[in-house]
Amino acid sequence: MKKWYGPLGFLGVGLLLALVPWLKTVFGFPTFYLIFLYFTFFWIAQASSWNMLSGYSGYFSFGQGAFFGIGVYTIATLIDKYNVSFLIGLPLGGILAALVGLGIGFVVFRLRLLKGELFALLTLAVDFVLAAVVRNSNAIDGGFGVRLGSVKPPAFLGDFTTMMYLLGLVIALLTVFVSYSIYHSRFGLGLFAIRDDEAVAEGLGVPTFRFKMTIFALSCFFIGLSGALQALQIGYITVEGIFSLRVPLFVIMMSILGGRQHWLGPVIGAVIIFTLTDTFSKASIEYLNQIIIGSFLIIMTLFLRDGIYERLKQRLWLSLAVLFIATVVLMITGLGERLISQLAYAMLITVAFLLIPDHLYHKLISPFQFLHSDEPVGVSDA
Amino acid sequence: MLLIGQALISGLLLGGLYAILAIGLSLTWGMLKVINLAHFTFAFLAAYITYQLSTSFGIDPYLTLFVTVPLFFVMGLGLQWCFNRFDVSEFNSLLVSFGLFIILQAVMSALWTADYRRIDYEINPYAQASFWVGPFALPIPQFSSFIAAIVLAGLTIYVLNSTYAGKALRAISQDPGMAAAFGVDYKKMSMLLMGVSTAYAAVAGVFIAMIFALFPEAGVEWIGVVFAVVILGGLANVPGALGAGLLIGLVQALTTAIANPGMAPLVTFSLLIAALLFKPEGLFTRRSTL
Repeated sequence: MKKWYGPLGFLGVGLLLALVPWLKTVFGFPTFYLIFLYFTFFWIAQASSWNMLSGYSGYFSFGQGAFFGIGVYTIATLIDKYNVSFLIGLPLGGILAALVGLGIGFVVFRLRLLKGELFALLTLAVDFVLAAVVRNSNAIDGGFGVRLGSVKPPAFLGDFTTMMYLLGLVIALLTVFVSYSIYHSRFGLGLFAIRDDEAVAEGLGVPTFRFKMTIFALSCFFIGLSGALQALQIGYITVEGIFSLRVPLFVIMMSILGGRQHWLGPVIGAVIIFTLTDTFSKASIEYLNQIIIGSFLIIMTLFLRDGIYERLKQRLWLSLAVLFIATVVLMITGLGERLISQLAYAMLITVAFLLIPDHLYHKLISPFQFLHSDEPVGVSDA
Repeated sequence: MLLIGQALISGLLLGGLYAILAIGLSLTWGMLKVINLAHFTFAFLAAYITYQLSTSFGIDPYLTLFVTVPLFFVMGLGLQWCFNRFDVSEFNSLLVSFGLFIILQAVMSALWTADYRRIDYEINPYAQASFWVGPFALPIPQFSSFIAAIVLAGLTIYVLNSTYAGKALRAISQDPGMAAAFGVDYKKMSMLLMGVSTAYAAVAGVFIAMIFALFPEAGVEWIGVVFAVVILGGLANVPGALGAGLLIGLVQALTTAIANPGMAPLVTFSLLIAALLFKPEGLFTRRSTL
């Protein structure tokens, strides 16, 4: 049964979300929401593609910025220097990133010592090297940045914002769908085995080298593809902005927050973190935003090691109820000014609810035990 | 020729500063399995404190060491206490300390704004003074940081090899369970080591304040280079970290002098990648014969 309802679910979600630009023309809500959703899609794609490699196989990469940068600079060079249409540049950005990933993987995955922290640092070094190459090569950037002129969207995609929204949606859905399919496949099981114990996995017949190469290439492809689209959104591209640590750190944070073991984890993490940063950076106190993000990372690592998804699974209905009630209360009382900030605060409340340790939680809900049979609330489906 | 000679000397002296930072980082990573990214912001926090003390009260920058070193020693104790209390794994230590890194950086930009800060030359006359060795100049802050690196490295090697505390620490790094069985108190020893490591960061910070202009995000620029030094030197290998620090300093200076400053990271990190691929246990570590 799982075989057909999964893809159908993705298709349904995709079609529903594709209606949003049309709804916008009907109800006339601000364009701002489309842009907000585009950025959410971007982070979902980035976090999911990071998680395919690092969450599933346990090879923790800090080099997201490198492959993101390849995607961005491929399309920027093609448009700026060679006048190629961005529709060709998009897939090429992904493909080039995947090829570079394959080249690095071919060398790195042969060495058994390069695991864990050393793999993380090596990928970080790749990011720094690429940044230096791009900065020094006049054919690509040369240190002055690349300014992309306004891109003309083809007629069937509507205006620029609508086009970005739709393309962002397609890429994010595709990435999450691939991540979902891997999760439910033999390939995925092989990757989990590599994460748990590579030597044993190899002994049991998992073709570790081939699996690692495949997942590295896939992950890089989606990072590059979504990066290439992001280049159009950024418009003015600089080495400092693209190869900074912002992208790798954000995707790591999103995946850890959401949960690295499941395909849905990075999606949840991306939605929460992006909504929060959007809210707190709009509050025009940039350092407060950083302090909240930093504390979030520490608290999550210390108290919710498996990520939100694992806890959410156990307390699904109650936490959805908390999210819903919090949103409604905030909207009625008008606290938090904008819809997105209200959602952000509601999410914070829900996360706080999920942070309640298990023993305390069971004590809290025990008075309502009679609603269910003898099982503790919410654990029934675990 | 003179130019290249001068560049090599500056590189060597800067390498000393890299080494001070790398020794602390390398010790806690190698012995306690804590990858402390906050090390870099500790150094810059110490630098800002030095800046503030000498600007507000006119204290000689060298004397601020008496404030920053004890202060950061205590901070290190506290940090390791938290790591022990929550039983943080090696990988999670990277994440937690990164969270701390972000928070401290935000605190610094809140307190000192994003503007460049530099200690006035009136209070910091050393910045423009140099020793002269033949035709070559040895700027005093750089030279003293180089001397400090060698003294700290020597001291650390002596303590680790010849004192009871040092032997206990090495026992912990080899086998914590066995060390505990022989009566080594892991919690106390690890807190002590982390305290010493952050105190080293404070020493580096004082020199950074004397040499460079400060801004809150500066710590990020040092992460790559200092990690390269730590890996090249080999984990918990103090002479290795010193040697690798000087080597990287020299390589950077040479690239800057011969090619251009933009090429320096390219050469440094290519060196790191080559080292990771061919000798991942560090350039200065002998292959263990297990």
